Amino acid sequence: MNMTRTLLSRLLQGLALVLAVVVLNFLLVHAAPGDPVETIAGASGGMSDELKAQLRSQYGLDQPLPVQLGIYLGKIVQGDLGFSYFFNLPVAGLIAERIPATLLLVVSAVLAAFVIGTTLGVLSARKPNGLLSQTITVLSLVGFAAPVFWTGIMLVILLASVWPIFPVSGLRSIDATGGGGARDMLDVLHHLVLPALTLGLVYLAQYSRLARASMLDVLGADYIRTARAKGLSNRVVLYKHALRNAVLPVVTILGLQFGNVMAGAILVETVFNWPGLGRLAFEAVLRRDYPSVLGVLLFSSIVVVVMNQLTDLCYRLIDPRIKTS
Amino acid sequence: MPVSLPFARRRALAAMALLAAAIAWPAAAEEPKRGGTLVFGSTQSPRHLNGAVQSGIATALPSTQLFASPLRFDDKWNAQPYLAESWSLAPDGKSLTLNLRRGAVFHDGKPITSEDVAFSIMAIKANHPFTTMLGPVEKVETPDAQTAIIRMSTPHPAIVLAMSPALCPILPKHVYGDGQDLKSHPRNSTNVVGSGPFRLVEFKPGQRVVMERFDKFFIAGRPYLDKLIMNITPDTSSLMLSLERGDLQMLPFASVPTDLQRLAKNPQVQLTPAGYEGIGALNWLAFNLTKKPLSDVKVRKAIAHTLDKNFISKALMAGFAKPADGPIVASSPFAVNDLVRYPVDLKKAVELLDAAGYKAGANGERFKLSIDYLPGADDQQKTVAEYIRTQLKKVGIAVEVRTSADFPAWAKRMATKDFDMSMDSVFNWGDPVIGVHRTYLSTNIKPIVWTNTQSYSNPQIDDLLNTAGGLLDPVKRKAYYATFQKVVTDELPIVFINQIPYHTAASKKLANVPTSIWGPMSPYDEVHFK
Amino acid sequence: MSQPVPIPRRTPPLRAVPAGVPLAAIEPAPPVKVENPTVEALRMFARNPSAIAGMLMLAAVLLVAIAGPWLYPADPFEIRAAPMTPPLNEDAWLGTDYLGRDVLTTLIYGGRATLLVGAVAALLSVLIGISVGALAGFYGGPVDKLLMRVTEFFQVLPALLFAMVVVTLFSPTLVTVTLAIGVVSWTGTARLTRAEFMRFRDLEFVRAERSIGARDARLIWKVILPNALPPLVVSATLAVGAAILFEAGLSFLGLGDPNQMSWGLMIGSSRQYVLSTWWAVAFPGAAIFVTVLAVSLIGDGLNDALNPKLRER
Repeated sequence: MNMTRTLLSRLLQGLALVLAVVVLNFLLVHAAPGDPVETIAGASGGMSDELKAQLRSQYGLDQPLPVQLGIYLGKIVQGDLGFSYFFNLPVAGLIAERIPATLLLVVSAVLAAFVIGTTLGVLSARKPNGLLSQTITVLSLVGFAAPVFWTGIMLVILLASVWPIFPVSGLRSIDATGGGGARDMLDVLHHLVLPALTLGLVYLAQYSRLARASMLDVLGADYIRTARAKGLSNRVVLYKHALRNAVLPVVTILGLQFGNVMAGAILVETVFNWPGLGRLAFEAVLRRDYPSVLGVLLFSSIVVVVMNQLTDLCYRLIDPRIKTS
Repeated sequence: MPVSLPFARRRALAAMALLAAAIAWPAAAEEPKRGGTLVFGSTQSPRHLNGAVQSGIATALPSTQLFASPLRFDDKWNAQPYLAESWSLAPDGKSLTLNLRRGAVFHDGKPITSEDVAFSIMAIKANHPFTTMLGPVEKVETPDAQTAIIRMSTPHPAIVLAMSPALCPILPKHVYGDGQDLKSHPRNSTNVVGSGPFRLVEFKPGQRVVMERFDKFFIAGRPYLDKLIMNITPDTSSLMLSLERGDLQMLPFASVPTDLQRLAKNPQVQLTPAGYEGIGALNWLAFNLTKKPLSDVKVRKAIAHTLDKNFISKALMAGFAKPADGPIVASSPFAVNDLVRYPVDLKKAVELLDAAGYKAGANGERFKLSIDYLPGADDQQKTVAEYIRTQLKKVGIAVEVRTSADFPAWAKRMATKDFDMSMDSVFNWGDPVIGVHRTYLSTNIKPIVWTNTQSYSNPQIDDLLNTAGGLLDPVKRKAYYATFQKVVTDELPIVFINQIPYHTAASKKLANVPTSIWGPMSPYDEVHFK
Repeated sequence: MSQPVPIPRRTPPLRAVPAGVPLAAIEPAPPVKVENPTVEALRMFARNPSAIAGMLMLAAVLLVAIAGPWLYPADPFEIRAAPMTPPLNEDAWLGTDYLGRDVLTTLIYGGRATLLVGAVAALLSVLIGISVGALAGFYGGPVDKLLMRVTEFFQVLPALLFAMVVVTLFSPTLVTVTLAIGVVSWTGTARLTRAEFMRFRDLEFVRAERSIGARDARLIWKVILPNALPPLVVSATLAVGAAILFEAGLSFLGLGDPNQMSWGLMIGSSRQYVLSTWWAVAFPGAAIFVTVLAVSLIGDGLNDALNPKLRER
């Protein structure tokens, strides 16, 4: 079937992309000044040359670059992302451990932003110049133009220090033992509010602006009038035509946002000490922990490619008229 | 007596019984309360939990709980029995005999024997970054399961301090002796079997270490605490807040002045600077002596005269840090007061610079210098570097503060001598042989951080240090170190600025907060809640 | 990824024609005075209150950034007063940070680095984007396919993480930061340019030029690009805002040029002490917010002013 063929070709394209990302980053990270053995040497308080040479050969750093790349790619295909230079633990394990935290943060933020933002946007479209509309515009602008780490810090000051309603940082209380029971979930939710709010504010702006513009334009567009003129009931008009076309840009944004998840995650997780992938990536970069950095880059690229494909799929399902390039 | 007592007598007896109880009661109350979870915080993330192959505070904090060492120390630098119930240093200083306790077991139940001690000591010698610590050790003899004799090629009094919890964790040979490289051994982070008062429950890299009481610990009745949780959080403000809220009960190595101020004002927090005499942490400005104009001692002295250590201590560090004037930290038994000092005197600095031949140009500038600093400790390093920049500007030296993106970048600069001046934080680590010699020996000019990165070379100093390292008589040793301190402060390869104001902040509900010379880097077996 | 469907714009309402009236009897609409489109756009822009607000804000920020250091000479790194003094005191109106540096001075001087990096990085990303998009849209075929693969590649790359890696590896200076930001931010402009060029490529007047023998280069730079400029100008303006936020983020993480005072650097270095010196974080952040807001409003205003013209052509 045509669909399957397109899907397969898309899949291959996606894989090629991910591969290219990995290769580029590998080359960059290995060909630039700076050396992980120096980091480990420094972290250990200094190391003799023999020890360093031993480490280099152990990590395969004394091989020519193409050979190293080949070995690395071979391992990736088998799902082995190597060992962290810093912790000496499997990178795949480190990443897997952190995925849930980031996922929780991002999904909550995007969902909250989507629901609240779209509602606000639609509401403000009713009375385009009313007070509510103006306020919502201002609010969205704050989320959009203020640096996300700044809003995070301000929220911490306001809601975790001045009025200590929420915790300052972390995923759980410091002495919590986890476990996943009801009490643990409440603890996590309590900690989730501020970070998700911070990240969500950024997305909120986009959704509300978009929803507002979409509703306004779509409601006044030609084909709506045509549909109305044809005598179709209001409901049908709304659901079939208006919403469908208004949803498309929203889907685009959703897809794009998941694609850009890393940036927001890194900054928010740093502010709130959230134990997710963003923080892992940041700390790994600082430590020259190349395997971890490459692992996160790889994972992030895969997520983006997958989200892109899903978005395309949604497009074709929603509106078959669209010709995808 | 079958006859019942008259009423008055009964009352007197009852009163006496009450009195007896009243006297006995406080004695009973002195028995420490068992139980509870101690949560303590750290900003540094340990790579793994094995202190035998890794130096540094980050690893030492959990490692000293999981692993026991032959000796431990009190707050007066006296060695105390720990895994070894007695010990003796031979009169010629070339061997240390350790007599181990009977019946001590590892966390998996297997007995701790001299074989394990021998294995651990040789492993530390082979893998630990502090090469001078066990330098002269040749072998460890094990005449029987309870005796270990460390044989050294030259007299080495530092061997006693080298038996401290942070420096000599005893590893189980049956786990680590499988031939794998110890530095990357998988059992360093998972399924750790140790010899200490606490056993590992969970290690989440970068997040937390959870430990619980080891029921068969070789000191009966200890530890008092049920559980230990080490929480790793990169920024101190979160840790501070958690301590204030009571989520955290202890915060060791607190040094940020503003945090210390807040903590000092908190009625529920006890703050103590005690416990850091052993580590001997110094903050200093190091010069690259291979670079002009720093190769001229007059220039170095001029720079020293521009720095107001009292201002640094009072204004930049809120009065919590003591100024340091020499290479050995003041709390060490080997520290002396007879040093060459450099009170702040901008006029003198200008004179020295003129005398050295560096006149000011038309714009008032004599020459340019760059200053680096160790990233990650801004309150100690960056603030001082920027203060130095401001001060040197006043005497015509233009300074560029170079920030390294991360530790490896800075380490590389130091190692490749790509620096003019750099702030640095270096620890004495107890015996000068361990942490002081490395900075001044001309044989230790290596392309590695925390060696003689200044390229300082003075045969007299080499002699003094090498001799002092082998003298058993502490009085004689101190005499040599006295001369050493005087010469070094005169030749100024380094301007010593302050002692890093490490403090331990703890909840007032905590008793026996560790304050031996090694402080938080010793086992918490005696710590308990009130 | 496929091109998103453009949001349909409001079209002018149909004129009501009474039934039964012959077409000829209807008066033709009075001739519309055709004005210079640029003037028309500027007029629309001038009528937009939020765009004007944006211009005013940006002007204020630029004034402070450019003239401020000249009128108020000081060293932003200098320790001015006692550390952590709150605002509204005579030595430091906006307070001092944990080192004793004056927050007001850092606001005045910090604008330079932030705006410079923002502007140049945006320029770089727009240049790369336009070049790639123009070539892809104009030539189509295999050139387009190749360039689109490259664009997708840079779009998939996690921008901030990649920039962090680049900056860390090559040591953070204004130059490396600007380059890093520019190199990861051009994909949006590229797509937009490509779409515009594809639209224009087959239009009458372009075909006409081609038939009289105009060379490709001339067609691209002198014929199509000037006409495709309006949405690109909008994109460039918004790119400045994005670049400013990007630079702020890098500086906050400690990866900006440490020897240049910038607003992001101020926030990042004061973060550890935020509970004691909230003003050192609040004011620089507000400055970034105002700047990015101003740029966004201008961009929006330009969008409103320029795009309807596009539709009616």
